[in-house]
Amino acid sequence: MNLILQSKTVNFWAQPYGSSTLWAYLFGALIFGILVFVGLMFMPAQFRRPVVAFCTFIAGAYWVLLYAWPAPIDLQPNELPQGPVEGVGAWLKDANPVVVGMTGIITAFMLGLGIFSLLSIHLRKIRRQQRDWPFSVVLLVSMVAMVSFGYADYFSRQGPDGTKLDLQANWGLANYGRDLLFDGLLQQMDAAMFSVIAFYILSAAYRAFRIRSVEATILLSTALLVMLSLMGAVAYISEQTINGLVSSTGNDFFLNFTLTEVAGWVRRTFETSSLRGIAFGVGIGALAMGLRIWLSLEKSGGNA
Amino acid sequence: MAKNDPIPQPIKPSMSLAEKLTSLPKFYLYIILIFFSSAPLFINVTVPNKPLESSIDLYATLMSVKPGETVLVASDWTNSTRGESWGQFNSVMRILMRRGVNVVLYSTGDAQAPRVAQDSIAKLNKERLAKGEPEYKRWENFVSVGFFSSGEAATNGMATNVKATFAGRKDFAPGRGLTDVYESPILKGREKIENFPLLIVITGSKTSNITVERLSGKVPIAFTVTGVMGPETGNFYQSGQIVGFASGLKGLYDLEGLMENGVNVPGKDGQIVIKSEKYPKIDGFPGQPNAGQGSRYYPTLHFAVALLILAVIIGNVGMFLARKGAK
Repeated sequence: MNLILQSKTVNFWAQPYGSSTLWAYLFGALIFGILVFVGLMFMPAQFRRPVVAFCTFIAGAYWVLLYAWPAPIDLQPNELPQGPVEGVGAWLKDANPVVVGMTGIITAFMLGLGIFSLLSIHLRKIRRQQRDWPFSVVLLVSMVAMVSFGYADYFSRQGPDGTKLDLQANWGLANYGRDLLFDGLLQQMDAAMFSVIAFYILSAAYRAFRIRSVEATILLSTALLVMLSLMGAVAYISEQTINGLVSSTGNDFFLNFTLTEVAGWVRRTFETSSLRGIAFGVGIGALAMGLRIWLSLEKSGGNA
Repeated sequence: MAKNDPIPQPIKPSMSLAEKLTSLPKFYLYIILIFFSSAPLFINVTVPNKPLESSIDLYATLMSVKPGETVLVASDWTNSTRGESWGQFNSVMRILMRRGVNVVLYSTGDAQAPRVAQDSIAKLNKERLAKGEPEYKRWENFVSVGFFSSGEAATNGMATNVKATFAGRKDFAPGRGLTDVYESPILKGREKIENFPLLIVITGSKTSNITVERLSGKVPIAFTVTGVMGPETGNFYQSGQIVGFASGLKGLYDLEGLMENGVNVPGKDGQIVIKSEKYPKIDGFPGQPNAGQGSRYYPTLHFAVALLILAVIIGNVGMFLARKGAK
């Protein structure tokens, strides 16, 4: 709604602030929303699927049309579109910020859903004192503490002097609390979890990376080459050696065989082309999956 | 056999070298890794380095933005990838701050990302103030637009109209509290993505792909990405969809070296430290705090990669010896 109210450009999606048309739109959308919500609640389960399929199709159709429909070229805000083709193109373009806002709001609802799910599961676990219930207490206390200090910090910055709190010297309890929980604990634990990967990589390199075939040998040699090229000291030594060879033989051709050059060649030719191939494959797969979801042919997501 | 005689134990055959090499306990491997990755942090070593072309392009692009201009910075990293991303963010921001370039921060990668970015700017400001340099001020030099929960939709919206996508977003204005970001002087007259001279994405996730898909060709794009993302980002660089990128610790070390030495700039001994045929002379910031996380962690990367290679060699030698013994 904020988007509609704050827009300076007047079009179908953004009526003038306080105008009767805007109020009519708002009222109409509210009534429509309530009716849809009530309708879905009382609708028999077998009829929900077509409704969901219809909404999915409309939502997907917008993005498809936005790309497929000819876009108006250099249409100014105070200019009317010429003809129906340009009219639809302009309408779709004007709708973009509104649709983006709606998408953001719908995505943000997942946060609420996540909190609801977390609370219902862990409160039940604590109430029934199921296995490991103290961990649930820790989780909920952490969540409440983080939210409380987060909001306290946010509200402390609301006033006219809020920017002063960008400097630590001006901090109060709420700011220090937020910093301790967010930067001191959450972020550090986040980094620690990620760093555990190093141990898995080392263990896997030692136990699993074995030369058992020609393909594995090629893979291993290439990996070693690229890894060594990332080590500046090794790359430097290789370059010095090749430079020495060039100055003693007078043949510049050897310059093509520095570690950096060879690794760069591997990256530019084999690596990028393979990755591009994979990306194309993934893209085609995503397109096929997108079409299935858009046309509600995908049934594996459960019943609506 | 008497009642109290010890029970004879079967004699364990001593392990062959092959068996020893293929069955090193995990515990020792992990201890060695901890030692190898921690020890270099206590030693001050300057590792020789030749920056990659992609890193030089990134530096040249950052240095080509005119003072007073406003660039978009998509800060899509959190501390989970701070080993690389934090240093990259600091280096990029140091260059922009020193050149007097304004920044619009936004994030489509993680809800924590805007806070992490603001905290990092606060630390950089502390460093600037300690050196007697002016503060890089919120609202006047940078604004934070915040997090967009749907990266695809927000980036798509930016392709059409940045102002409409950022509508309703607020940041702290001095003396006024929360104010619409578009009232900030640094966003004046910048409604479309084409009005920005550069978009820099600092990321540890797939937001780089979305940015290229939606905004390529509309604004020059530069990336700093984690080492894991380097190969796929190379694709965009080769195709000309992005103007430059720094990947992982190597990219960060490149960037820090470029900040210290510039490009085609003669050093004290008259020798050019970093040469490039592509660019004329691009100044650096010699003597300023350029060395950061890259310089600190790059030796660690050396030791860790060396250990990894050693582990692969030991495992394979053990396997070959075992096969030979079996024959």
